[in-house]
Amino acid sequence: MNFPQQTPRRFAFLLLGFLAVSLFTVVYPIYVIRPFRPQGPRELPAALVVARVRPWVALLSAVAAIAVLARYWRMLPRRWCRVLAAVGTGLVAVLAVLARVNVYELMFHPVDHPAFAAVNEVKLDKDDKLIVVKIGGSARAYPIRAMGYHHIVNDVVGGTALVATY
Amino acid sequence: MWTRDVAGLRLTFHLAGINNQNFIMRDEETGTYWQQISGLAISGPLQGRQLTLVHSDELTFATWKAEEPQGKMLKDVPKYASEYEAKDWDVRMKRVPTVIQFAEHGMKARDLMLGIRAFGASRAFPYEQVMKEKLVKDHVGAEPVLLVVGPDNESVRAFRDRIAGVEGTPDFYRLDGKKPDALLMDAATGSEWNFQGCAVAGKVKGVCLERIPMLKDYWFDWRNYNPKTTIYGKKL
Repeated sequence: MNFPQQTPRRFAFLLLGFLAVSLFTVVYPIYVIRPFRPQGPRELPAALVVARVRPWVALLSAVAAIAVLARYWRMLPRRWCRVLAAVGTGLVAVLAVLARVNVYELMFHPVDHPAFAAVNEVKLDKDDKLIVVKIGGSARAYPIRAMGYHHIVNDVVGGTALVATY
Repeated sequence: MWTRDVAGLRLTFHLAGINNQNFIMRDEETGTYWQQISGLAISGPLQGRQLTLVHSDELTFATWKAEEPQGKMLKDVPKYASEYEAKDWDVRMKRVPTVIQFAEHGMKARDLMLGIRAFGASRAFPYEQVMKEKLVKDHVGAEPVLLVVGPDNESVRAFRDRIAGVEGTPDFYRLDGKKPDALLMDAATGSEWNFQGCAVAGKVKGVCLERIPMLKDYWFDWRNYNPKTTIYGKKL
């Protein structure tokens, strides 16, 4: 049975299209919002819009790539075409997973369950610096050396839910 | 430091990007992105919303321990503690290049400033100069302010220079060790004041000055978010 020669070409265009869309949604926000790079006034909002939609766009792209692979699999003429097709589709699927990974929290792990010690149990140098807050009679301190790594701590102090940032 | 309650929701924030010297946060409840330095939602369902600032200070451990013997401190997360910053990280950061400079009015990008945005104005106080003077009497906008260096010669607080019930702008002086529990005295009432801005003796004992939020920041970053800032000690 002879299949039209355009079939592999059409499939390749589709797969490359899905790959390009997924790659763009994953890479563009990371490229724009990175340290030591100034962001222009329009770039940052654009990158954040892409970041917000990317989990779903990348997932749809992966589902579409798998569906298209299933549709065209038997029509691909040679074994190496099928291998390439599988690898390409696999890449789109991997990008769908990466689109849900927060690389910043891989670099700077969050404090998922902040724990606190009484001040007289703490051993710090007297000149260690802290960010301190007092609300409703409750005093809380966040050492800057730790905050410089974690950057964010979600907490409740004196009944007020707050986020300490550094 | 910001409140987490906004638009009827309690938000949980995650690090979502580094933007020059600041970072971007994302709340897990709505997926909105927020600017760390301003507390403003810049993209997402809550775009345009503003978090409420929570007043905080930067103090040495010794000063905080003396002021808050019942206080609680965040514990290290053991598996990451070895990666925490060294104590001299701010000295090492001075050598890191910046992508924006604002080399104007004789300022260098990584000059450390104490920034106050209040009373409709922004003003930056060079950190080294405040440390040298120990008591700065100045204005932000039309309001008189005090910047006070603590007894540890490292911690700094800012206050509005007004005493409730007293007219005009009281003049403050440092006592510098003359009294064990007092750091300042005001000429208007003769009262003695501690580093928390509360009168511990004198006519207005028990009265506290209004604290003003202050941000320790590098010049380039302060200037980037406060384009109309003035600088203490410089005529612009």
